[in-house]
Amino acid sequence: MSEKNREEKRAARERMLEQRAADEATSKRRKKLIVGGAVLAVIAAAVITGVVVQNQRSKPETPTAAPAGTIGDKNLVIPVGAGNAPSVLTVYEDPRCPACGMFEREFSATIDQLEDAGKIYTNYHLVSFIDRAVPGKGSKTGANALACAQDAGHFRDFHDVLYRNQPDETSDAFGDKSVLLNLAKQVNGLDTPEFQACVKDNKFGGWVSAVQQDFDKSSYKSTPTVLLNGQPIYPKNGDEEITPANLVKWVDAANQGKQLGTAGSHGQTPAPTSTASEANNPSPAAG
Amino acid sequence: MAGPEAQPGEESAPRAAPAAPAWSEWVGLVVRLGLAVVWGWAGLAKISDPAEAAQAVRAYEILPEGLVKPVGYGLPFLELALALLLVIGLGVRLVAGVSALLLLTFIAGIGSAWARGISIDCGCFGGGGHVDASQTEYLQEILRDTGFLLLAGWLLWRPRTRLSADGWLAR
Repeated sequence: MSEKNREEKRAARERMLEQRAADEATSKRRKKLIVGGAVLAVIAAAVITGVVVQNQRSKPETPTAAPAGTIGDKNLVIPVGAGNAPSVLTVYEDPRCPACGMFEREFSATIDQLEDAGKIYTNYHLVSFIDRAVPGKGSKTGANALACAQDAGHFRDFHDVLYRNQPDETSDAFGDKSVLLNLAKQVNGLDTPEFQACVKDNKFGGWVSAVQQDFDKSSYKSTPTVLLNGQPIYPKNGDEEITPANLVKWVDAANQGKQLGTAGSHGQTPAPTSTASEANNPSPAAG
Repeated sequence: MAGPEAQPGEESAPRAAPAAPAWSEWVGLVVRLGLAVVWGWAGLAKISDPAEAAQAVRAYEILPEGLVKPVGYGLPFLELALALLLVIGLGVRLVAGVSALLLLTFIAGIGSAWARGISIDCGCFGGGGHVDASQTEYLQEILRDTGFLLLAGWLLWRPRTRLSADGWLAR
């Protein structure tokens, strides 16, 4: 009798322990599921928030405001020269890109002359991607200042002044708006309150971003990218190296038998007659 | 993301495996916080310019254009979420598993760019996009990510760490 009783008691205790162990395992599993669920929920919430927030923060690919006189389906392109010139020179360049500075120092006088002779219609795309790789914001502020100059009808002169005074790639001088405003004083009629406000308020920041996003989606990967009637000519056109003389030769060849455009047009001040003075601050060779 | 959640080792751990030495939980804490710093830094560096983040993704030429922006926009926040979870130490093994998967994806992406001969910056800590062929650093980038992968591996192996929400919940 007592023997049986003891046995029953022991069995009961064992059952209880088993039950307790099972309960503990269940609760542990449940805890783990809850923690795992919480972790995945945090991750999912973060990603969804990120996509929504960044989508709102990103500047539209079609700008809400563009500088006066820009062309193209989204007004992302700054044209210089006569619209009826027989050849189109397309230039993608970043205000901070040293290779662009070298290109400009070597070619801007020639390009200005070709424009003034009605031989080419230059289409500028103001890329601003050096800021991504090198600390600073001079690509974006410089591009905005160029857009402001376009808006004021002085793009070409300011563009030439800017590249002649380009700082080292690692120096972010163009990120300093007062530097840009000082350089603008070298261009007759540009140093106005409107222009100053436009530079200071980064008025065309959204447009600059749209131009960059357009470049991001293009097949071009570096600056300067230079096309003559759609064909890449920098650093070489086929086997021939680009030089000012070769550029003139290629343009004349492309224009052969065609009516030249209106000379010295587009409301831009004419090119300086002497070749532009050499750089104050030549940059070292670029990649 | 399923794999690491099942934890066959841990069920039997208290009985079978000898408990990990106490110092390993301190090592685990350092590893956990180290990986948190990596993700936090990587995430923050990619947030300021959404277009830049999208271009870093686009430059790999792997994803279709429709996925470029969602990935570029969402990835930094995924990294920040992992950093946050590692700092508080919640679900360490699962977070380490997700971290390892993400790092393997990055390594595969960089390796693929290298193998295809395109010239990009990995954009691991901001930046990204095309660079001059002479400026690619694929080997360094892969070695660095492999180092981070070792941190995640440690936490997969020894998810119990000091001063963690997991430890607090297990009490």
